[in-house]
Amino acid sequence: MKKLLQLVFGDVRNVASVAVALLVAFGVSRLAPAAAGAVLALLLIAAAALQAI
Amino acid sequence: MGIIGAHGAPLPMTAAQWGGATAIFLASAVEWVEAFTIVLAVALTIGWRRAAGAAAAGLAVVAVLIAVTGVGIEAAQADIGLIRAAIGIFLLLFGLRWYVKAIRRYSGRTALHDEAREFAETREQLERAESRAAWVVAFKGVLLEGLEVWLLVVALGHTLSYAAAAGSAAASLVLVIVAGLALRAPLTRVPENTLKYLVACAILSFGTFWSIGGLAGEQAVWPLGDGTLLLLFAAYGVGGRIIAWRSRTGASAARAQA
Repeated sequence: MKKLLQLVFGDVRNVASVAVALLVAFGVSRLAPAAAGAVLALLLIAAAALQAI
Repeated sequence: MGIIGAHGAPLPMTAAQWGGATAIFLASAVEWVEAFTIVLAVALTIGWRRAAGAAAAGLAVVAVLIAVTGVGIEAAQADIGLIRAAIGIFLLLFGLRWYVKAIRRYSGRTALHDEAREFAETREQLERAESRAAWVVAFKGVLLEGLEVWLLVVALGHTLSYAAAAGSAAASLVLVIVAGLALRAPLTRVPENTLKYLVACAILSFGTFWSIGGLAGEQAVWPLGDGTLLLLFAAYGVGGRIIAWRSRTGASAARAQA
């Protein structure tokens, strides 16, 4: 079960990165909907950079 | 591979559906190659017949999971936006993990997955194991790699049709088995990290598109429609390679200073 959960969600950093990126993007979507997708993609790339380096 | 329309006639596949099918095919191939390496090592220890039996048992569990989940998804009567958002979030979690792992391997911070070394290590481990333990190693290997395939079929099957998604995974399994049996050696020439990286970019693109589209309204968030998927794929592709390059040059500079 633990292995399955790890397969789906990854570690805590992974879950936190996706949660924060989605929350910020959702907030942006209330003000400028057309920018929300780009913000989400950029935040995820930044999260990947933080995790990878 | 086509999608069947309401009147039974095949409908042409869209770019998003081709993308989904290709991502499932490539991702499954990566997982099946890893499973094949384990089964091959077991086969050389306890014989092909028993190793194939263990692999078939693992595959049967995965097939049952795919079939049961497919029936469950057909029966579920949830809001389409909600389903898309949930699947999108899952794809982001899954895709980001693969993306980071592939970037770290490109930058040299994590060693590339080496099928030959994996094969040698499994052989060494099996030399000390009993026949039943070797069977379990093959079964578990196929099952664990197959679970990742199952997760992707469930998530990306939403873009094409569930049957077509499962068919893509099955087609890649057949390809890996044929190639593996022809060579009778670990499939070391498969560019695993490149495949994993491309699949991660595709999964993140679909995840980005559906998650925020499902949560905030697809038409408002993505005015360009499905075509945005290609832009997202390019952004993740280029972004990841820049991160890997910066990481590699940063590590080289630190080593030179030390």
